[in-house]
Amino acid sequence: MPEIPEFWRTEVWHPLSVHLPIGILLAAVLFKFMQRIQPKSMWNLGGSILLYLGTTAAWISIYTGNLADGIVSRHLCDPTILKDHENMAYLTAWLFTAAAALDLLQFLGSRILKMQVLSWMVVVLMLVATGFLTYAGHLGASLVYQQAAGVHIPSEDCAEFE
Amino acid sequence: MKKLINLFSLTVVLLSFAACGEQTDAVESGVYEGTVDKVEPAKTEIYVKTVDDKTLELYFTEATKLTRNGEVVPFDALEAGQTVKVEIEKIGKRLDPISVEILEQ
Repeated sequence: MPEIPEFWRTEVWHPLSVHLPIGILLAAVLFKFMQRIQPKSMWNLGGSILLYLGTTAAWISIYTGNLADGIVSRHLCDPTILKDHENMAYLTAWLFTAAAALDLLQFLGSRILKMQVLSWMVVVLMLVATGFLTYAGHLGASLVYQQAAGVHIPSEDCAEFE
Repeated sequence: MKKLINLFSLTVVLLSFAACGEQTDAVESGVYEGTVDKVEPAKTEIYVKTVDDKTLELYFTEATKLTRNGEVVPFDALEAGQTVKVEIEKIGKRLDPISVEILEQ
């Protein structure tokens, strides 16, 4: 008789950890963009905190993604999508990391760049990163909904749920 | 200031290229010879660069047979730079290695 697999499988940690950075980083972009339109310290500080938190969480989700990779790749019909997803995720994480590093310069007091320029650079980097984040998310969704990556498919008669 | 902005743009572009990572190829079922480009012991996975410059990403299965001089050897016998002959079965776009033979260092 088939059995329901354990819920806390290694490959499940990735979907559990990946949605938080997506939400936080999108909110960070919104905050930083608002700060350009309506300069208030709340937008800037809030955006910075979200950016640092989101970037840290993004690297954690890359770690869990690497753990899942070794397991789900053997069952996919098109692992090249997984490779693209992985490449896009790394690109996204590096771009947000670069944005976070530039953003930190604002608080450390940059003597090289004017604050206005630095602030715009952070926004531009974050907007570019958001484009890649969206595409990485799309590829991740395609792995789950088209190839059932990491998904348990119940038996036809659902016997394991009785 | 203009120089700094140009430097920033260049950094973004270079970062994008650097982070793009490796691309892998799907090939038909068959036997291929190439060089081991990378070994991932934790995932029992290897990347093989073929003579026609294709990169094959191969995840070992329970059925994959790894040999050297006709003898079965463990996965840790694989190292980057080795020449290997691989027999592959293509399922969808997935490449399942049936056998991997280490030819030389």
